[in-house]
Amino acid sequence: MEPVLVADDVQKSYGDTVALGGVSLSVGEGEVVALIGPNGAGKTTFTRCLTGTTVPDGGGVRLFGDPPGSADTDRLGLLPQAFNPPDRLTARELVAYYGGLFDESLDPEAVLADVGIDADDDTWYADLSGGQQRRVCVAATLVNDPDLLFLDEPTTGIDPAGRRSLWALLERLAEAGTTIFLTTHYMAEAERLADRVGLLAAGEIVEMGPPDELIATYGGASRLVVETDAGPDAFADSRFEVRADDGGLAFEGVAPTDIGDVVRDLDARGVSFEALSWSEPDLEDVYLTLTGERFEEDATEPTLTAATGGEP
Amino acid sequence: MSAIGRIRAESYAAWYSFVRRRTAMFFTFFFPVLLIAIFGALVQTQSGQGGLFTEPAGYYVPGYLAVVVLFTPLSRVGSTVARHREDNRFEKLATTPLSRAEWLGAHTLVNVVIIGIASVIILAFILLLTGATLSLSWLLVPFIALAVVLFCGLGAILGRITDSADGVIAASNAIALPLLFLSATFVQPDLLPSWFAPVMDLSPLTYFARGVRAATFSGQGAYLDLGVLLVLAVAFFVVGALAIPRTD
Repeated sequence: MEPVLVADDVQKSYGDTVALGGVSLSVGEGEVVALIGPNGAGKTTFTRCLTGTTVPDGGGVRLFGDPPGSADTDRLGLLPQAFNPPDRLTARELVAYYGGLFDESLDPEAVLADVGIDADDDTWYADLSGGQQRRVCVAATLVNDPDLLFLDEPTTGIDPAGRRSLWALLERLAEAGTTIFLTTHYMAEAERLADRVGLLAAGEIVEMGPPDELIATYGGASRLVVETDAGPDAFADSRFEVRADDGGLAFEGVAPTDIGDVVRDLDARGVSFEALSWSEPDLEDVYLTLTGERFEEDATEPTLTAATGGEP
Repeated sequence: MSAIGRIRAESYAAWYSFVRRRTAMFFTFFFPVLLIAIFGALVQTQSGQGGLFTEPAGYYVPGYLAVVVLFTPLSRVGSTVARHREDNRFEKLATTPLSRAEWLGAHTLVNVVIIGIASVIILAFILLLTGATLSLSWLLVPFIALAVVLFCGLGAILGRITDSADGVIAASNAIALPLLFLSATFVQPDLLPSWFAPVMDLSPLTYFARGVRAATFSGQGAYLDLGVLLVLAVAFFVVGALAIPRTD
């Protein structure tokens, strides 16, 4: 099966600044791929190259086998970053407007209901809250029932409950076969939605893979954080690696079944503590590990080898 | 969805974006009325004594109409292009079937309607305040429509060249003001140096002013000016459509 989206060695520079240093990616039908990375990493530039709104200096992009400028726009949906539609229209008018630009479109009321907006509300877009505005923008992106969705930071400004309802909507779309490419600063969003996550830093994909594999490889161990005044030296002979943490100690590699052992060990050593918290590694740990490694290596050695996409 | 359907959707959004901005709407219609009140009623023309505003009131009808035909499309389309770019609306539209020509066509259509309404108000005020005698020729319709098309195209070019909505306003004023007074509108050509006549022929507004004056006041043939205006309108629309940004 031919991939829906293929980017091959995409390069883009603005003056002396290299925004994309040769990014490759292949996304299969129904797959959800998320791109994470620091501000200025090149996520939006890459998204623009994929949608044809920025012309790459080198490399190529194919959407459904065609260059972006020739791709069937009826099958595409794009939510740009920092997008502000005409603001003196109501949510219903806005979604109807964008739907009217396509050969076929969904019922605006149904799409607005999917994103949690009341279609009968006559409030102008300008007077909606930031989170409501972003939801209307998502609805305007979904109104043509696209096969390939580009979402550049889709849930920025949306409250946690609204974010989760949009995640559920995107999950339903993906289950129905919609291919989704998204960028985000929310690691939980990438971890929950994406089949594969790519970390873009300084214009190159540092690593890409399924979230659980990335976490297993780069996330580190589970840890128990103990709020205490004691220092790590008192635990030099512990079977766990113990480090000073903000306001306490962090016991690395502690499984849930080990927590009792650690507490008994603290009592045996006469160490008093205020609280315990246990956590598993997540995508944020991956992000910090990989970007941290990269920045450290930037100072001493050449950077990590950029991954060049993966199998859909 | 046909091109007509897409233009209808874009026009609908553009129309409501305009009429729901009350201050923009008020001043679009108020500015030319103010000019009529000042130069048509307050400053009384002194026929036969030479100088400015000495022609019969009907002579200046093209000038009053030129104010809305020139300023409104130039600044509105130019600033709309700039605002679309700043708000990433073109980025969004680039992934829809709407073409650049359809986008400009929709916004031109809205401007034709707005300026058509403004022109009717202006003509009514001219008759009411200045006592001008003029012939309400049907040729006014194509002259106004073509001039709006032309200046919408020029507005799109300005929107592309300038980097912000503020820049568009400054640039459109810098272009429109000399055009308004040096295109056989308010200033009679014989008051200008003879060497300036060919320069005046370079202004597209000159053909609008001459043609409207011929159709409504002097009774001379207006078709040659209409033909020139038609060619210029098509040319500016095509260049304007191509100037609308699709990529960064």
